Amino acid sequence: MPFFDALARWLGMKKKEVNVMVVGLDNSGKTTIINHFKSPETKNHDIVPTVGFNVEKFKSKSLAFTAFDMSGQGRYRNLWEQYYKECDGIIFVIDSSDKLRMVVAKEELNLLLENPELKNRSIPILFYANKMDARDAVSSVKCSHLLELQSLSNKPWFICASNALTGEGLHEGVDWLTDQLKIVLQKKKK
Amino acid sequence: MLSLKRDKKEEEDGGGNPFNNLEKSTVLQEARTFNETPINPRKCGNILTKVLYIINQGESIGQTEATEAFFAMTKLFQSKDPILRRLVYLGIKEMSKIAQDVIIVTSSLMKDMTGKEDQFRGPAIRALCSVTDHSMLQSIERYMKQAIVDKVPAVSSAALVSALHLGKGSQEVIKRWVNEAQEAVNSDNVMVQFHALGLLYHIRKTDKLAVNKLVSKFSKQSLKSPYAYCLLIRIAAKLIEEEDAGSESPMFDFIESCLRHKSEMVIYEAAHAIVQLKNTTAKDLAPAVSVLQLFCSSPKPTLRFAAVRTLNKAYELMLNVLKLLVAIKHPAAVTACNLDLENLITDVNRSIATLAITTLLKTGNESSVDRLMKQISTFMSEISDEFKIVVVQAIRSLCSKFPRKHNVLMTFLAQMLRDEGGFDYKKEIVDCIITTIEDNVEAKEAGLAHLCEFIEDCEHTVLATKILHLLGREGPRTPSPSKYIRFIYNRVILENAAVRAAAVSAIAKFGAHCDDLLNSCVVLLERCQLDTDDEVRDRATFYVNVLKQKQKALSSAYILNGLQVSVVGLERALHQYTLEPSEAPFDLKSVPLATQPIAEQKVRDVPGEVPSSKPTQDKVAASRQDVYQEQLAQVPELANLGALFKSSSPVEVTESETEYYVQCIKHTFNNYIVFQFDCTNTLNDQQLERVTVEMEPAEGFEVIKYIPCPLLTYNKPGTTYTLVRLPSEPTQVTGTFACVLKFLVKDCDPQTGEPDEDGYDDEYVLEDVEVSVADHVQKVMKPNFAASWEEVGPENELEDTYALSNMSTLEEAITNIIQYIGLQPCERSDKVPEGKSAHTLYLAGVFRGGHDALVRAKLALDTSGVTMQLTVRSTDPHVSEVLATAVA
Repeated sequence: MPFFDALARWLGMKKKEVNVMVVGLDNSGKTTIINHFKSPETKNHDIVPTVGFNVEKFKSKSLAFTAFDMSGQGRYRNLWEQYYKECDGIIFVIDSSDKLRMVVAKEELNLLLENPELKNRSIPILFYANKMDARDAVSSVKCSHLLELQSLSNKPWFICASNALTGEGLHEGVDWLTDQLKIVLQKKKK
Repeated sequence: MLSLKRDKKEEEDGGGNPFNNLEKSTVLQEARTFNETPINPRKCGNILTKVLYIINQGESIGQTEATEAFFAMTKLFQSKDPILRRLVYLGIKEMSKIAQDVIIVTSSLMKDMTGKEDQFRGPAIRALCSVTDHSMLQSIERYMKQAIVDKVPAVSSAALVSALHLGKGSQEVIKRWVNEAQEAVNSDNVMVQFHALGLLYHIRKTDKLAVNKLVSKFSKQSLKSPYAYCLLIRIAAKLIEEEDAGSESPMFDFIESCLRHKSEMVIYEAAHAIVQLKNTTAKDLAPAVSVLQLFCSSPKPTLRFAAVRTLNKAYELMLNVLKLLVAIKHPAAVTACNLDLENLITDVNRSIATLAITTLLKTGNESSVDRLMKQISTFMSEISDEFKIVVVQAIRSLCSKFPRKHNVLMTFLAQMLRDEGGFDYKKEIVDCIITTIEDNVEAKEAGLAHLCEFIEDCEHTVLATKILHLLGREGPRTPSPSKYIRFIYNRVILENAAVRAAAVSAIAKFGAHCDDLLNSCVVLLERCQLDTDDEVRDRATFYVNVLKQKQKALSSAYILNGLQVSVVGLERALHQYTLEPSEAPFDLKSVPLATQPIAEQKVRDVPGEVPSSKPTQDKVAASRQDVYQEQLAQVPELANLGALFKSSSPVEVTESETEYYVQCIKHTFNNYIVFQFDCTNTLNDQQLERVTVEMEPAEGFEVIKYIPCPLLTYNKPGTTYTLVRLPSEPTQVTGTFACVLKFLVKDCDPQTGEPDEDGYDDEYVLEDVEVSVADHVQKVMKPNFAASWEEVGPENELEDTYALSNMSTLEEAITNIIQYIGLQPCERSDKVPEGKSAHTLYLAGVFRGGHDALVRAKLALDTSGVTMQLTVRSTDPHVSEVLATAVA
């Protein structure tokens, strides 16, 4: 029913759809973050390591998100690139309490940024410095330093500390992403 | 209109299938649409269908292409469209074996599998199991266990079947799911129960005891699902087969009880299983067959089809069993089954009934013959020729077994002759009648009458000529020969050339044998001289001229007894003669005589003998001598001995298990004997060279030459010859030769066969070789002995009386006489009618040098043994002398 879709969109009744990818190392909290955005009745209480990927849908103020929740385990990370092409935004989740593997996260981020599909695209990247409640968690600023985000200049990015268990900080990040994506969509229209 | 037509044509070309002529590369290109957002479920569904279609058409997709398409397909998980999602499941299953990294969909599938949408759960499980490898199995184990006991039957079934598939790879993990499977067996859903039983069996199938327990447990506890029952029957049947148990197995009882199940499917499966079992008897089969017969009248076509198929198999099985019984030579062994067979003779399947009856005929006693013949005649017209032949064969054996029943049997055969039937069938009947006539004098007249009637309307030339020949031979000796002439002359008027020629020969035989018919026969033959066919005219002219001479000897030689030479030999001799033109006329005596295959034929007609070996035997008998002739002509030293007169059958001159194995064949020529020694070296560490057989000749014989066998290696037969000149004294023909095998031995390596350089001479004593009278005569069949007897005349007749005190029966005496003299018994005189104390034996043959030799031995049995009066007639006085002394 493309016609009705278009009509609904024109009337502003149906929200615009965007694809985002949720990536990050294993056990950083990707699935938990997505789970938080879901409506209460579809929420999953039992989070297990993702194998491959999951597709989840959630809504923010004015956009309908389709999130590809990718598996963070080492053997599946090379599969992320299969989904770069179609995504409009990226959510990169970092376990801020895991200082040891921060370098691994940095490496994966670099690989992502160097990927030909993404390299020259001005695609918004949202960083969640997750597990802020953990005792030895580093601050979001420290995190951005560790990942050398200051050198990332050709893409809009934003980092916020979050706690996926309580939902703290999550909406702040999604709001930023929504704004960025809206700008992108408007640019596309023109 | 035009376009309509074209459309129609396109439709016929297969345009009706929208997926026809799909190009793989285009479809895979289209599959990129999956990457677009937002997803258009209808369009993507259509493309995915195309992909599935080309995969199922057997198109092979490369790994990279497949992987690309696969990842594009994973993006379709965004859409919640149920049709598209289920297509995706199918796509995953199809591509799971060709694409890389299919593991990527694991979490998505797990989400669907545990989700709320029941429609997705089953297919998701199946897809998940197809992408999961063994390392991942543990992570999904918990969900699988849950799914197996799920209350939704589709989910439970899907999990069970997937588990079965997973079990092919790793039995270990599946084994831990036994408890869940046990629980699922108790499900109310028929499919779940079936699948659960399947999984249980699969888990336990390597443990025979456990399977046994499984079957006995579930065969007691009544299962709800007919499918599960079918599976259980199959497992039970397999167990029976593996244990080689027959109907006494408890499993068989279970299968048998399933024949009374309320579901048709189960009944059919049980019947099918019983039919398929190996060690079943007719009694075990009976209930299964009756159930299947019930099915045949079922209103459901599928059931009828299945029943007919299995019945067919059941009948085939019964037929095979029966055929085996028919072929068994020891009737006593079969009599045990007679009761079963009695039940089968009224079987609706005619083939089975026929075989049952024929088996009974062969094994039964005289009293039951009438009843069985009556039974079989009721449906003779309904069975095929192949089975009719079996019946005829049974009757033939009956004829020889119960000569007194020939009346019933003859009438029956005549009835069958009149009915429709193919050549083989008719030939079998005619053969049967002919043997009966020959064996049983009382049946002769009736048999000839039936045959006469048959040739009145016979479309088979071969049979007609055969019968005419028989009439010519047997007819003149019946009390009223004149009545056959009418039948025979009718053939001259009505039939084709071959039959006419045969009829002419037959008439001539009547003329030659019966003086009172001579004139009439000549008249008939003269009429035949006007025939359109050359052969018929030639024969008629020849016979008229011979008969007009009115000389008994002449008629006997040229009409009653035909040419006795080997056809191959005659051809070769004539060819030789035309190559070297000479003034001398062609000498028929130089042609080797035909070896008598008749004796062997007699052996073959013994009832119960398997007829398949017939043709090969026949050929060997006819050409053995010709083969030897060729073989001897290859040896230059033996090439100029003249025509080979006779070759004896091989005689072993060593024990068969010794170091060297030697057979001797005696080849008799006019003035020489060649001893052919076929030697085999059975020692693998020896190689023999220059092998000869030295012979110590009997008095008068002279060894001319040894032709050695140059090399005799392990297990490769070689031949050496010894040439001996026969004594000049014509009456001196027998002797004993001492033989010694002489050779040079070289030891050799058993493996390589490489011989040492030096050898040593050695010898090996063989058994003595005997040259008897039989080696000097060739058997010749004289169909009309009396005529030949007169033909040779009393000129060189010798007569003597012997008392054969060491013989106690006439049969024994006859066998021994034939063995010593080596002549052919004529007119079936080698068979002594039962209960007679006197008998006359007629023997005929040709002595070396081409002299006819006839022997009449009158035998009488008394208390002291057998007394024999031996009369010998020959064209040469010496021959008579030799033969007369042969027995003494």
